[in-house]
Amino acid sequence: MTGHVAMVTTRVVLGAAGLAAAAYGTGTLLDLGAGNLLATLPWLLGGVVAHDAVLAPLIVLAGLLAAARLPGWAKGAAAAALVVLGTVTLAAFPALGRFGARPDNPTLLDRPYAAGWVALAALVLMAAGTAALATRRRGGEHRG
Amino acid sequence: MALLSGTRLTDRIDRLLPHEEAFRSALRGPDVASRVGLWLGLCFLVALLTGVYSHFAQQASTAIPLPGRPVSLYRVTQTLHIAAGTAAVPLLLVKMWAVNPKLFARPPRQRRAVVLHVLERLSIAALVASTIFQLATGLANAAQWYPWAFGFRETHYAVGWVAVGALLVHVAVKLPIIRDALAQRQPPAQPGGVTRRSLLLATWLAAGVAVLATAAAGVPGVRRISVLAVRSGDGPGGVPINRSAVAAGVSALATDPGFALSVVAPGRVVRLNRADLEALPQTSAELPIACVEGWSASGIWSGVRVRDLLALVGAPARTAVVVRSLQPRGAWRESRLPAEVAADPLTLLALDLGGEPLSLDHGYPCRIIAPNRPGVLQTKWVSRLEVQA
Repeated sequence: MTGHVAMVTTRVVLGAAGLAAAAYGTGTLLDLGAGNLLATLPWLLGGVVAHDAVLAPLIVLAGLLAAARLPGWAKGAAAAALVVLGTVTLAAFPALGRFGARPDNPTLLDRPYAAGWVALAALVLMAAGTAALATRRRGGEHRG
Repeated sequence: MALLSGTRLTDRIDRLLPHEEAFRSALRGPDVASRVGLWLGLCFLVALLTGVYSHFAQQASTAIPLPGRPVSLYRVTQTLHIAAGTAAVPLLLVKMWAVNPKLFARPPRQRRAVVLHVLERLSIAALVASTIFQLATGLANAAQWYPWAFGFRETHYAVGWVAVGALLVHVAVKLPIIRDALAQRQPPAQPGGVTRRSLLLATWLAAGVAVLATAAAGVPGVRRISVLAVRSGDGPGGVPINRSAVAAGVSALATDPGFALSVVAPGRVVRLNRADLEALPQTSAELPIACVEGWSASGIWSGVRVRDLLALVGAPARTAVVVRSLQPRGAWRESRLPAEVAADPLTLLALDLGGEPLSLDHGYPCRIIAPNRPGVLQTKWVSRLEVQA
């Protein structure tokens, strides 16, 4: 019974704090003016659309392909390689594209990003390949 | 929605969309979502606390004066802020993958249940939209890429509160499911599938690699392996440049041989050129420059203590000072040193960096460097120090 009361209390407190924080954030956003809001909305909606309509279906497709084509012992390593390389690439996208580079500032975006990415990808694929081969040698725990 | 069910249009849409049950991976569900969500929530908390701190540190005046010690506090909080946001990218993507089938759950039939369903969907929409917005705009800002028309700092601050609020509501709604899922032990592996253990391991690895490869560039020693960092950390005097003299439009004014700094107090003005400043007692200090974009570097700065300059015009050391730059435009051409910052023996009008005269891009002829202040307030190309009455 006390467990139930604690659960209900926690949920009510969390919910109320959440509504207060969201209301403060929304109010602050509205206070920045209609022009600022109009410039913000496409970015708020664009992220959802980019994930739900583009990225998520692509990952489903990759999953279906992997399920059909990859041997069981390679699936875990392939999924891990996709998770690491895919998400790190996405997180580093603004640097990789050097979109903010300026000719008057040589200290900004000053690394060889293509080479860095290739080195990182090689490392991840090598680690995944080694893990996959080790699984196969063990007799493939999850043959399928 | 319940009212529309059974029409030809909704039937056609229903046939086109996959059903929640069509997603076959057993890893998609509360088991993985709760574990990844826990760490994602922790990243939210770190980003919120450090973000709010940074927001107030950039205000011209705050209710509570920010401490000058430790001198690297802002450097640490801002590095944490960017690291939390970067680690959140893999966590968020795996978390959303785990719950994606829910997107295709059909609304319930009873009217009361429909209302609850719609409310929950709205809170999730707010959570997803605000979270992706925060990560996308934050990472772009860290790379000095601004492909938008809204004000970054204010909007990122406001949407941050929406994201945290929506997250708390989401946790409140899902708390019993989260509790039960976290109590679940490792489920038996599906034949031919990926285990929960290996998926979680890959997720933690992805978060770690993302932070090391990009955001950890401000940490001495880690910088060399941060191959995807926005800055290598090189620059004149060993410190990178945020805004160049060309970008600020000050090149001609800053190199003008007739340049003289004005120190202004009510009824008194002292004008000092660069040689006059060099002839005053010099102080050296190792202080970091830590930018809101998340990069930071430590340098050895030397110059004249601001409080010594205030003494020249007969002002007490503990006086607030308005610092004006030669920059003809821009929001940061003026900053304010609160009284306790002006009095700090480490608050310098720097002339040299790393034993060399300041480079033009670092603020030649003279700039402000003070302990524990965001980089945007370390005003460069200073032309005027004015005591606030």
